[in-house]
This record gives sequence, structure tokens and C-alpha cells, in this order.
Amino acid sequence: MKSAVIRANERKLLLMAALVLLCTVGYLLLEVNLANPRLLAYAMKLRVPKVVVMLITAFTIGGASIVFQSVINNTIVTPCLLGMNSLYTLIHTAVVFFLGSGSLIAVNANLAFGVDIVLMGLVATVTYSWIFQKTKHNVLYVLLVGTVLTSFFGSLQSTITRVMDPNEYDALLTTLVASFSNINSEIVLFAVVLLAGVTFAIRKELALLDVLTLGKAQAINLGVDYDRCIRRLLLGVTLYIAVATAMVGPISFLGLIVANLSRQLLKTYRHSQLILGSALFGMIVLVGGQLLVEHVVSYTVPISVFITVGGGLYFLYLLLTRKKV
Amino acid sequence: MQIQKLSKQYDGKTVVDGVSFSIPKGKVISLIGPNGAGKSTVMGMISRLIAQDSGLIHFEGKEMGKWKSRELSKRLAILTQSNHIQMKLTVRELVTFGRFPYSGNRLTREDQEIIDRAIRYMELETFEDRFLDELSGGQRQRALIAMVIAQDTEYVLLDEPTNNLDIYHATNMMKTVRRLCDELGKTVILVLHEINYAAFYSDYICAFKDGKIAKFGTVEEVITKENLSEIYQVDFEILNIAGKPLSIYY
Ligand SMILES: Nc1ncnc2c1ncn2[C@@H]1O[C@H](COP(=O)(O)OP(=O)(O)O)[C@@H](O)[C@H]1O
Ligand SMILES: [Mg+2]
Repeated sequence: MKSAVIRANERKLLLMAALVLLCTVGYLLLEVNLANPRLLAYAMKLRVPKVVVMLITAFTIGGASIVFQSVINNTIVTPCLLGMNSLYTLIHTAVVFFLGSGSLIAVNANLAFGVDIVLMGLVATVTYSWIFQKTKHNVLYVLLVGTVLTSFFGSLQSTITRVMDPNEYDALLTTLVASFSNINSEIVLFAVVLLAGVTFAIRKELALLDVLTLGKAQAINLGVDYDRCIRRLLLGVTLYIAVATAMVGPISFLGLIVANLSRQLLKTYRHSQLILGSALFGMIVLVGGQLLVEHVVSYTVPISVFITVGGGLYFLYLLLTRKKV
Repeated sequence: MQIQKLSKQYDGKTVVDGVSFSIPKGKVISLIGPNGAGKSTVMGMISRLIAQDSGLIHFEGKEMGKWKSRELSKRLAILTQSNHIQMKLTVRELVTFGRFPYSGNRLTREDQEIIDRAIRYMELETFEDRFLDELSGGQRQRALIAMVIAQDTEYVLLDEPTNNLDIYHATNMMKTVRRLCDELGKTVILVLHEINYAAFYSDYICAFKDGKIAKFGTVEEVITKENLSEIYQVDFEILNIAGKPLSIYY
């Protein structure tokens, strides 16, 4: 017996999936010479990996954002607050500064990805599992620690860039914006394995998300080991963001936009639907956006500009229209 | 349920101080007392929402801390003082959560029947597909009670269930509490501000003052002019109406 809301939402999700498919096919085939097999093969070789990376990123950021918001019990927070973006920026700046832009870590993408993952995973585990436990699982501390880390990493990074060689800085800048192209398949595969591992590790906690949104007291009343549950979810979310960031670079507003679009469209507490909706919105924004960037404005504006400007405006809209509690 | 020397401090201030009492099974027990006396804190500790600093709680033959949270949630349900549910939930969806301890996210046919019955018991059939934030305070409170009924526990703890309700709804809430005990055989422990509701509808009363139990006993034992004047520091008169000691304060 399914309620009308569930069925209506299933239809909406199906429609979104169709839109994702349309965007994906459109992105792959637009302005491709289908008559010439060699040109087609060449275009696919460039476009397929890129589209795959975008889909994975959208899923990761979209899903993690919903989970993070539900753990914090606030719908205008984004996992950006966890500080992974600024840690990524700091790591890459430090590598270029201390080892040079020609160094192995800076040049070898696989190695860079590995270093990112290890450092971010370490920081995530220490701050969001260990310190969180020490602060008696107060989610406000999480936001505070995240904000402190973000500005700490940020100021370290800007200190380094101030004394950096301008040419090195120039080379660095291009690696500090999110990019979906030129990501090799080993990294993609490794990222997928990591994401699957994290998902598997927190599968039980993910099933508790619906109950968590009733609030701490109600969740405990219904038999949820609340502290352990949010600790594991928080660590899971941070690792998710770490993987996505290590793969494509910092993507700021995307999570906030797609999570809220999903909540607005589906108006449900069911996380299976919210997460799917958020992931699908992410895919539409990224793939559809990239399609616009490449075929309509022909690369004059990078997609991150669209996301940041659009995200900023949407964020403002959310703040202004949010019902007072 | 036996409670022994329960204590709790916040920032060095003792808010619950060596509280001991036994909760008689199958009865309605009301906790009364001035604001800040520690009633909610005691409720929180006996329902594992708040960790005590010292003291023991024996529940159904086992120490509270030894119970698996999931098992406990099939035997004891609590409704806290404030319930801000942020999510868009219908009445039926809320009541459905009461079955979570038994079936998780996958409901059986039996669960559905229990949910139906809980909704009928609280006379919510006509609202079952309405969203909680579209309901009046009284209706929302009834929906929360229906969820507790669906949770099907022997013990039910309610912290100020009549708060923010008008006389009509508050009185109905108290009648429901009585029915939970008399018809469904539950042990109901509740915090009340209205002394007369406590006197009229409970079997036992536990009066708190400054983190300690001032008086514990049957209604007749606790509701006396001397006791109430001492606990609340105002003058009381006791009238015997319908065989119950009802009080007037001024
Ligand atoms: N989380 C908390 N942190 C600090 N002090 C608290 C907390 N919860 C309750 N208190 C304090 O403990 C005392 C008892 O509170 P409470 O149990 O809510 O009283 P009651 O329910 O009897 O009105 C009050 O003085 C209150 O300020
Ligand atoms: Mg209270």
C-alpha cells in the first residue's frame, strides 16, 4: 500500500531520470559527426569519461548534502562547511610551493589523488569522529570546528601564495578550480570503489535517516543509538566529499542547491527519495550546465561560475523565503 | 521500575539530588512541582534520554544501562515536553514511526493494523492524511499519543502532555491517559502542572521540589493543605469533590 505522495514522487523522480538521460545523450552526441566513425570514436573518447565523472560527482555531492543536512537538522547547511574544499586547496598549494609545480606529486594525477585522499581522510577521521566523540556529540561543535578549519586552511594557503613565485602560482590556479576533463580512468575506478566502501560501511545508519529527522529524543525513544549513528554518518559524508573533491576539485554551492531543490520538489521525509532526487538534480545541473558551457557559450564561461552565481542567488532566496521557526 | 539515588548536575549545579522511588505497575503516576524542580530531568533519565551522574534505575529486572536501546523501545515510550518535527509528515506517517522498533522501515500487515487501531483510538481517522503543521495543537498532541500507542509499550512517559491545550483538549488528554491505563493496562508516568488534573486522574503523585522528592504517595496522601503549601509556597484550600481532593490556591 503506497501513499499518493510516494507515487507522485516516484513519477517526479522518473521524469528527472529521463531528463538526466536526455542531457547525457545530448552532451555526448551534440555537434558530433555521426557519419564518420573515426571522428565519433574520438569524440566519445573525450566525452564519455567526462560525463561519467560528472555523474559520479553529482551523485556524491547530492547524496552527501542531504545526509549532512539531516544529521545537522538544518536545511541551509552544506558539507562545504566541513573544510574539505579548503584542505584540498591548501594541499595543492603546499605541494607546488615546497616541491615545485614540476614535482612528481604535482604532475602525477594518481599520486596527487592518493595524497589528497589520505590527508583528507585523516583530517576527517580525527575531527569528525574523534573530536566529535570528545565533545559529547554536539553537532554545533562540528559546524564550529568546520568553520575554524576552513579559515585556518584558508589563511595558511593565502600566506603561502603571497610568497610564491608568480609563474608557479599561475600553474597552481588552474588546478584549484573544479574540472571534469582529463581525469584518468584509474582515479575514477578508485573513487567508485572508495565510495562503494563508505556506503557499505554506513548502510545501516543510512536506513535510520528517516527516524533521525524526528529529532534526537524521538530517535532514541524509537531505539536508535543516536550518537554512534550521527558520528558514523558524519564521517561517511566527510569521506564522500573528500573523494569527490580529490577527484574533481572544490565544488562549492552545488550540494546546497541540489539538496534544497530536491527537498522543495519532493516535500517528503523519505531519504531514499530525497537522496535520489538530490543526486539527479546534481546530474542535471552538471551535465546540462556543461552542455551549455560547451555548446552555447562555447567555453567562454566555466561551469563553476554558473554554479557559484546560481548557487549564491538560490542561497539568498532560501534565506529570504525560509519560514521563521 | 525502581529508581535509586538518582542525581544529575549541570555546570556544578545539582538539579536532581538523590531521588529514589518505585513506580507501581499498571497505574497512573503524576509528577508535580514548581518549574525547575527537576521533573523533566528525572523523566529524561528514566527513559535513557539523559545520562545520570549517579544512581541506578532497575527496569523489568535489569539495570537500565544493560538494556539494548531497541529492546527498551518496545517496552517504554516517552514523549518529551517539546516536539518540533521539522519534516513534512502526515499524521499517518508519524504514527507509522511507532512501529519502527519492531519492523524498521518495512511494515508488516500486522503493523498496518496496529497503526489503524492507534489512529482510531485517538479519533484521528479524518485527519490521517493531513500534514502535522496543518493541525491545531490539540490534534497534533493526539497524533503524537497515537504514535506512542502504536509503539505498544507497557510503560508510557509523557512530559506535560496538557501543555498549550485548552480546557476541553486538556481534559480529553487526561481522560485518554486514564484509558491507556484502565483499558490498555499501561503504566503511565506523566508530568503535570495542573494539580487538580493530577489529583483527579492519577493513582499516585510524586511531588518534586529543588531536585528532591518532597512527597510521594497516593493522591489522598500527597494532596493536603500542608504538603501543597510547603511545596509551592502559596496558600491552599482543599475541597473534596467527587471523592477527590481538589485544591484552590490564591
Ligand atoms: N541541558 C541543561 N543544561 C543546563 N541546565 C539544565 C539543563 N536541563 C535542565 N537544566 C536545569 O535543571 C533544572 C531542572 O530542570 P527541569 O528538569 O527541566 O525542571 P522541570 O521539568 O521540573 O521544570 C532547571 O534549573 C534547569 O534550568
Ligand atoms: Mg519540565
